[in-house]
Amino acid sequence: MVRNNILKIENLHVSYGPVRALRGISLEVYEGEIVVLIGANGAGKTSLVESILGITPAESGRIIFMGEDITQKKTEHIVASGICLIPEGRGILPLMSVMENLQLGAHHYKGDISEDLNIIYKSFPVLKERTKQMAGTLSGGEQQILSIARGLMSRPKLMMMDEPSLGLAPVLVKELFEIIVNLNKAGYTILLSEQNARKALQCGHRGYVFETGNIVLSGKSGDLEKDIRVQHAYIGSAL
Amino acid sequence: MEVFTAQLINAIALGSIYALLVIGFNLLLVVGGIFPFAYSHIVVLSMYMCWIVLRITGDNLILGILAGILSGTALSLITEPIFRPLAKRGAVLSSFIVAMAISMIITDIMSKRIHGGVVISFPLTLQGKEALITFGIATITAGHIATIAGSIIAGIGFFYLLYRTRQGRAFRAMGQSPFAARLLGIPIVKTSIFAYMIAGFLGGISSILLAMSLGSASAVLGDNLALKVMAVALFAGLGNIGGGLVAAMVLGLAEGMALAYLPGEWYQAISFGMIMVIIMIKPKGLFGAMA
Repeated sequence: MVRNNILKIENLHVSYGPVRALRGISLEVYEGEIVVLIGANGAGKTSLVESILGITPAESGRIIFMGEDITQKKTEHIVASGICLIPEGRGILPLMSVMENLQLGAHHYKGDISEDLNIIYKSFPVLKERTKQMAGTLSGGEQQILSIARGLMSRPKLMMMDEPSLGLAPVLVKELFEIIVNLNKAGYTILLSEQNARKALQCGHRGYVFETGNIVLSGKSGDLEKDIRVQHAYIGSAL
Repeated sequence: MEVFTAQLINAIALGSIYALLVIGFNLLLVVGGIFPFAYSHIVVLSMYMCWIVLRITGDNLILGILAGILSGTALSLITEPIFRPLAKRGAVLSSFIVAMAISMIITDIMSKRIHGGVVISFPLTLQGKEALITFGIATITAGHIATIAGSIIAGIGFFYLLYRTRQGRAFRAMGQSPFAARLLGIPIVKTSIFAYMIAGFLGGISSILLAMSLGSASAVLGDNLALKVMAVALFAGLGNIGGGLVAAMVLGLAEGMALAYLPGEWYQAISFGMIMVIIMIKPKGLFGAMA
């Protein structure tokens, strides 16, 4: 089976002033995959997703999305071309209604979005119930769903999620990973950055392990899960 | 009672202009991400532009009004690239200092280069002094009505833009979280330029309304207004656009009443004293920061 390459990153370097956040990252994402980025805090996962989206500029290297070099593109163009980021901490707009948050997800699209909204409301009835409510009054789990739904509103070809399980109760984490798997089954390609390595590897197809701005290990999720080094460093002895 | 009514009318007219100024100020603060101290100076410079065009054209009111509105818009837009690098880094305090520099340059231009620094007066036809409604010594003039109606229409137009349009949604998103706005694909620079344009346009309208209700302007007016606008914005809660409206009316009324019933020049001390007390009790302002 030959799958289309969605995202290809070649030797990407990113720095914040003197701090080198990414030191030559290369990775690939194929259509229909869930690719998992694991690694400790500060290993460079967030820097990677933010530089893919054009929020943090790349120092060198190339980011190719669906055959197009987007390394130097502005964020608004990258979002419009089909990448969305569900950021760490959810990034919802607390003083705007649930509906307005969803509308902002499709901000780059100037046409009618009522059909997209209907689909979202059907998939996530909790958002329909709260459509007029201020997003800041939602619970943590609901905010995470809103953040994902807002990402879907942009009609993404690649969804990037940064630490979506952070701060959620265990029962909600389970629900969240079910949503991610279902989205993937519905055809969405997902790049998932997670500290919850075990859960993430269980739902993902392939994974990359980050350490201080480098990829130290990569492969199929099952293999990575078994890998002793990963177990030791990121999963803990409980596995 | 008549003194009270007369002062009340003046106070409402003045308060509604303050309200318009505070809207523009807060828009630049929230969406532009800067502390726009020079905003009022730009408005006063636009009054001067209106005055110059009136002089040249032999008091052609339409051209004069257009000149005020256009120069408000243009002057505001000119400052955008100056502030852009600071806004990008979130350097609000630095932007305050740059804005003060701009305000001093504008004040210098007005006090040295225009009309020899002498107070300028606007023609009576612009001021609309003819009384439309009279009760005793109190009158409502055409100027009062135009000022109040003008600010209400501009205010409603602005709130429609802010709460009912796609662009307004982008404005509010940038105010609440520049990071989230960015990753949602809102074009930050374009949206910010648009905010300067709208703020400048509202400032241009304010300049005409000020010319109508004050009847004159001088180089120090910029500083006077800037202090008031800044104080009202603080009083309401920085960036709280709805709260700013209420606070502007309160300041207008407080000033008007203090002028009427208290001796001499104490009105400023009283209105600013009030603001100080509020800030001590509620450091985030009466209505809390950000709307």
